[in-house]
Amino acid sequence: MVRLRLRPDLALVLVCAGLYVGAAAQARMAGGTALSLAVTTISTPLVALGNLAGETWEDLWQGRRDLRATLAELERVRAEAGELRRSNQLLSAELAMLRQGSRLLAAYPALAEHATVARVVARDIVRAHTILLDRGRADGVRLDSPVLAESGLLGRVERVQEHAARVQLLSHPAAAAAARVVGVPPEGLLVGGDQPRLTGLPPYTQVAVDQPVVSTGSEGIYPAGLLFGTTLESKLEGIFTIVPVRLAAQPAEVMVVLVLPPAGRSAP
Amino acid sequence: MKLAAAFVVALLLQLGLTASHLWWVLPACQPLLLVVVATARRMGPTGVAWSGLAAGLITDVIGERIIGPGGIAGAIAGAVVAAVVRRFEMEGPLFWIVGSLLAAACSETAWIAAVAALGVKPDHAWRGALATVAMTAAAGLVVAAVERSWRAWQSPARRRRRVLRRL
Repeated sequence: MVRLRLRPDLALVLVCAGLYVGAAAQARMAGGTALSLAVTTISTPLVALGNLAGETWEDLWQGRRDLRATLAELERVRAEAGELRRSNQLLSAELAMLRQGSRLLAAYPALAEHATVARVVARDIVRAHTILLDRGRADGVRLDSPVLAESGLLGRVERVQEHAARVQLLSHPAAAAAARVVGVPPEGLLVGGDQPRLTGLPPYTQVAVDQPVVSTGSEGIYPAGLLFGTTLESKLEGIFTIVPVRLAAQPAEVMVVLVLPPAGRSAP
Repeated sequence: MKLAAAFVVALLLQLGLTASHLWWVLPACQPLLLVVVATARRMGPTGVAWSGLAAGLITDVIGERIIGPGGIAGAIAGAVVAAVVRRFEMEGPLFWIVGSLLAAACSETAWIAAVAALGVKPDHAWRGALATVAMTAAAGLVVAAVERSWRAWQSPARRRRRVLRRL
């Protein structure tokens, strides 16, 4: 028996040559074969798997993009909502101020004609006992102009600028005004401090609690007849009757005030 | 055995990469050629050429083309890759990058030449050949990176460091 031994490299060359001849034969034949059908059958599930992977990737990518867009939209809407909330707060504050202003004007119709309506823009009612108004010299506000809130007198203008004015509250330790208790003839001096009080009343003056304390105008600043507050329980100190007064106007709640023309003592 | 498994995986991958929902340049990648490159580590030029022949024939079959030119081109590519790798003693990432690039370039050139010699109109021209070379070389780069990472992960030095850290 003859055993044919072929070197692998020569065999490779021969196979390649055979393939070339076979390929040339195929090139001259047309039409599909069973092999191509088999290839199609085998490749179909693999292609489907590849498509599944591709679709999943596309879905993930699209989902990520959608999520980004949604997050950006959410951020924008949040910013818009914050802006609207701030606007709403400002409008609410403006509305409250307008309501207070209209109530103030309605409460003092006789004084409103020559008075200036001003807004409180800043307040320090604990330390400095002052408030800052948005009206000044340009608006007719003068030094020592009485400042009136809806519920009563608040203080007097102690410093005026062109478009701003600082008001010394009646609770200021240096504040003082001529006043009297309704129904009690003698006039007294209302002095400020942590507890404003009416001093200078004769001894043993009978003062009932919760009686209105009004201005007399003797000091030349406040017009007569405006309310300072109400009395608390009086006491005798030395030779005077001292009457603690609960001020009517609450500076912490005042947003709009009426600045009255000065009574005439101070120069503009 | 490992090479046979890799051959099957590469074949399935080559079929799967033609899916329409995948990136359109992916079908140009020829994972079977990477298996041919891998055989260059274990076999001589003739053995690699035989594996290239098998890979080329299978590529012809699954591409539903004339069976033969792909085999011839694969055999030439395998022989060239094996010769170059041996001549320059390539190792590591360079082996994969140069090997895949060379295999794809030789295979495509030989295939175009063979098809032209047969007088058949090829299903792709130079642009397709360039895409094949680029994508196969990119796949070789990926394999090189993965192999390097795997070796670094499995390295005795890293194990020693890990043990020392636990002490």
